[in-house]
Amino acid sequence: MSNLPHHDQAKWISQSVYEPLLSEKNMTEVSLEHVPLPSNLKRNSLTLPSLSEPEIARHYTRLSQMTYGVDSGPYLLGSCTMKYNPKFTEDVAVLPGCSIHPDREPHTIQGTLEILHTLQEHLATIGGMDAVTLQPPAGASGEFTGILIIRAFHESRGDFSRNEIIIPESAHGTNPASATLGGYNTVEIPSNGEGRVNIDALQAALSENTAALMLTNPNTLGLFESEIELIASMVHDMGGLLYYDGANLNALLGRSRPRDMGFDIMHYNVHKTFATPHGGGGPGAGPVGVISKLETFLPAPIVIKTTSGFDLFTPENSIGKVHGFYGNWLCLIKALAYILRLGDSGLLDASAKAVLNANYLGSKIQYEIPFRPFYHEFVASSGEQDAAEVAKRLLDYGVHPPTTKWPLIVSQALLVEPTESENKTTLDQIAASFNKISNEDQSTLKSAPNSTTVGKIDQATAARSPILSWHSLDPSL
Amino acid sequence: MNMGIKQIESVDGPIMTHLSPTQNPYTPHTPADVESMLLDLGLQSIEELFDIPSSIQFTDSFKIPSRSEYEVKTELKEIFEKNLPLIEFLGHGYYSHYIPSIVDHISDRSEFLTSYTQYQPEVSQGFLQVLFEYQSLIVELTGLKIANSSMYDFATSIGEAALLSGRISPTRTKILVPDILRLERLSVLKNYTSNSGFKIESYPTCNSNTDVDELSNMISKDVSMVYVESPNSHGSLEESIEEIAEISHESGSLCCLGTDPVALSILESPSALGVDIVVGDASVLGLPNAYGMGVGLFACRSEYLRKVPGRLVGITKDANNRRAYTLTLQTREQHIRRERATSNICTNQAWIALRTAIHAAYLGPHGLVDLAKQCIDLPLELSSKLNNIEGVQSPLYSRYHFREFVVRTEKKALDVVRFLETKGYAVSAINDHELLICITDTNSSHLNAFVDAFKEAVL
Amino acid sequence: MTFSIPPDRQYSKSHEWVLVDSNNALIGITDFAQDELGDIVFIELPPLGEILIKDQIFGLVESIKAVSDLYAPLSGTILDINSTLEAEPEQVNDDPYDSGWILKIELKDLSEIKTLLTADEYGDQTN
Repeated sequence: MSNLPHHDQAKWISQSVYEPLLSEKNMTEVSLEHVPLPSNLKRNSLTLPSLSEPEIARHYTRLSQMTYGVDSGPYLLGSCTMKYNPKFTEDVAVLPGCSIHPDREPHTIQGTLEILHTLQEHLATIGGMDAVTLQPPAGASGEFTGILIIRAFHESRGDFSRNEIIIPESAHGTNPASATLGGYNTVEIPSNGEGRVNIDALQAALSENTAALMLTNPNTLGLFESEIELIASMVHDMGGLLYYDGANLNALLGRSRPRDMGFDIMHYNVHKTFATPHGGGGPGAGPVGVISKLETFLPAPIVIKTTSGFDLFTPENSIGKVHGFYGNWLCLIKALAYILRLGDSGLLDASAKAVLNANYLGSKIQYEIPFRPFYHEFVASSGEQDAAEVAKRLLDYGVHPPTTKWPLIVSQALLVEPTESENKTTLDQIAASFNKISNEDQSTLKSAPNSTTVGKIDQATAARSPILSWHSLDPSL
Repeated sequence: MNMGIKQIESVDGPIMTHLSPTQNPYTPHTPADVESMLLDLGLQSIEELFDIPSSIQFTDSFKIPSRSEYEVKTELKEIFEKNLPLIEFLGHGYYSHYIPSIVDHISDRSEFLTSYTQYQPEVSQGFLQVLFEYQSLIVELTGLKIANSSMYDFATSIGEAALLSGRISPTRTKILVPDILRLERLSVLKNYTSNSGFKIESYPTCNSNTDVDELSNMISKDVSMVYVESPNSHGSLEESIEEIAEISHESGSLCCLGTDPVALSILESPSALGVDIVVGDASVLGLPNAYGMGVGLFACRSEYLRKVPGRLVGITKDANNRRAYTLTLQTREQHIRRERATSNICTNQAWIALRTAIHAAYLGPHGLVDLAKQCIDLPLELSSKLNNIEGVQSPLYSRYHFREFVVRTEKKALDVVRFLETKGYAVSAINDHELLICITDTNSSHLNAFVDAFKEAVL
Repeated sequence: MTFSIPPDRQYSKSHEWVLVDSNNALIGITDFAQDELGDIVFIELPPLGEILIKDQIFGLVESIKAVSDLYAPLSGTILDINSTLEAEPEQVNDDPYDSGWILKIELKDLSEIKTLLTADEYGDQTN
């Protein structure tokens, strides 16, 4: 493997790479006698690990070394846009002005509001939308917000009969889950032979019950929905709205805006498109943009500019709130910093290089790619090999594998998104890893991974006999 | 065909030298790289890869100029200077404690910061262990057997708890909440539940504690969940949790408590009081006030295991029989169960949970109890000093207070707020003659000066 | 890959098997179904005495990667549930036709039996 990527996970020579739990290092019981509360309100004692700062620093540092991030190496997780997270945005998020209490009166935090307003404006411009709320704390929350707006819009016109949201079968799982949370039935439509929206199936699914169609473009196969204008007019003609799932916006930055394609509502994933770090699963942020006729339904508050400065404003027919206050503020400011840093030309370059990288990598790997032409990501099929096993084997080559076995349209799917952050040399190395694995035998794949901190994990035992805290830990484990 | 080819300008500034000419400091391609990649693809230009119909191409510009790192930082810093540097005595669900330096330094390690959801557990053991330890911390504090690895915030956790109660008792249609619930939380709860056919009704509080008799009258077989907070919206510690849980259980509904990990460090274990679900904001440890950003705490009884929202980390073994951590019971989640998922949550607040875990580990049980004791002692001290001022009743409610309390002033509350602002303090009026005042370790050094300012304010 | 399809019983299109014994029937899922699902970790079933209605969902099988509804191949009242599966759901993977049986019902309408597939017919379907 000498010519292949040098992104192997840091590991120790010892066979048993292992860091004890805090609870195994120390547990201390503290009495609460001195706490001035009556005994019926307070507990008798508190038992938790008690360690010194140096011990804690080593514990977590060691755990960080057993974690693979974008800064460790390529992270091909399709649909997640694991691009490089510029370091300076971390400094921006700890500027003194960031630590603000939500109950501060608007006239005392004009700077904070100006920053939020600037981001609202820039996101609106980038999506072609008329107004933006920054409140949803994640993409799925943005979808839910969009669904609530869709409901409020239809009901405001006295239309209470629409109870269906149409979703392509290749959509992210959050789409149907968010639609259900909003009280809608979901109608799933199949793809056509080219991996795009099946127009006939859409026609058949559309009815007077249709509240909206949720769509990702490019879709989860990385394909541009070239008939998007037709799709939009079909949905609009039936009185429905068109929702844009912004997960794949990175592919189109500055080239085509959801509004131009006919979308009425969209969410932006700042942790994908605008490089805020994913933090081991979050936080992210999922601002929502809408066209003008939907502005009145936006969650409260939004930031507006008045003659005397910036203020918080509750739109007349606001759906209310989707987060306790104003969402993940620290992620929002990182996203703004990224947008300001890159500007037009940098954002345009991000989509250019993201799409170039995916196409270059796609051209170098031997696995079949059934659907083309693709943009920022592609779905390869590992054919006779099990895609999940291919993924585990990629770990041995120091690469964070693609999303596997999804979307379901492609059997043994490997959804690969290299992002714009990789250079040609790394892409060549990744391709070499894929190609080497494509020629490996089943037993090699089955036994992988071997160069990671632990070997292949027994998922079945984890789910059959769940151990979810150190309290239920069998000492033999 | 119009490819909409754009003229790409280069970013000005000193940072670009080694990559110049390029357009984006975070794309590592040299011009020679691009040329050779295009050659391999048989293309003249990257723009050929974008087969966007010309009718929907964006050919204008965003009119956002590129800036150097230095320029962005300076510009944002200057904008922040427009904020008035007030010392905040604000609480009402959002609290600030001193964050030890180790929290920033360790959580900023880029392996933690730049990783994503642990879909490949073999290369994510470290973060998984952190989340497992976070879950264990919450289990220790709540006494409940299951804690997930985070929701978005306090308010959305209440919403998810209500939905969980609905999955447990599908025929019930009502959620009962206290009449003093923060309005933002009520709004989120309504949005999470009303579309599933729930009605939210509020029960009265009396002298800032649940009116248990009224609650008994309101409870019925239609109630899916009774929600109570301690400390509540007035900073008062609820004294009837056990009775509330009993009343809930008698009618077959669940009892959900909203609280936080600092309070839980000294409060009686919710599980011992009969509480079924605990929600709250765990970011009182680990995160300074961040304009409402937090991390949703969520714990419940083990019976609800397969109905729980959010991610769960479990321990299992690897191929060599060694301990290993993994996300588990993922079939509950949206990426597998889609419209029948227990929640639509995907991206969550894992990194904040990491910060909470580090802060809690740093404090240990002694530090947590000391911090919580301060949350009792400081409001006691401040409220009694304010009570010595003529025209001030402090605290308004004769309860045990945690971090904050309500003050009644003869003078109009809004006038008091305005005056204090001129003295450099932010407090919040909750009605015409009442203020909510919050004191923790982060503003306690201003206690006496604040009392002096308050004296002037109510003159 | 070939899957075991014992000829002594009948099958539904939704991959349940039925072993009829006079008025009662034993129900489980097929070898093909357990293989498609992968490691089974949990089975959710209605309580004893509940009435199943043919072709309606009565429970679900969860594996580590999928959730699948169970459809009643025949109508009837639940007489017995394989309680071993609570602690050892892997029995369905290891031995789907014997120790991995799921429940036993008392049949309501014997005429429904003829709507089921034979082993050969089911074999054709899975091929």
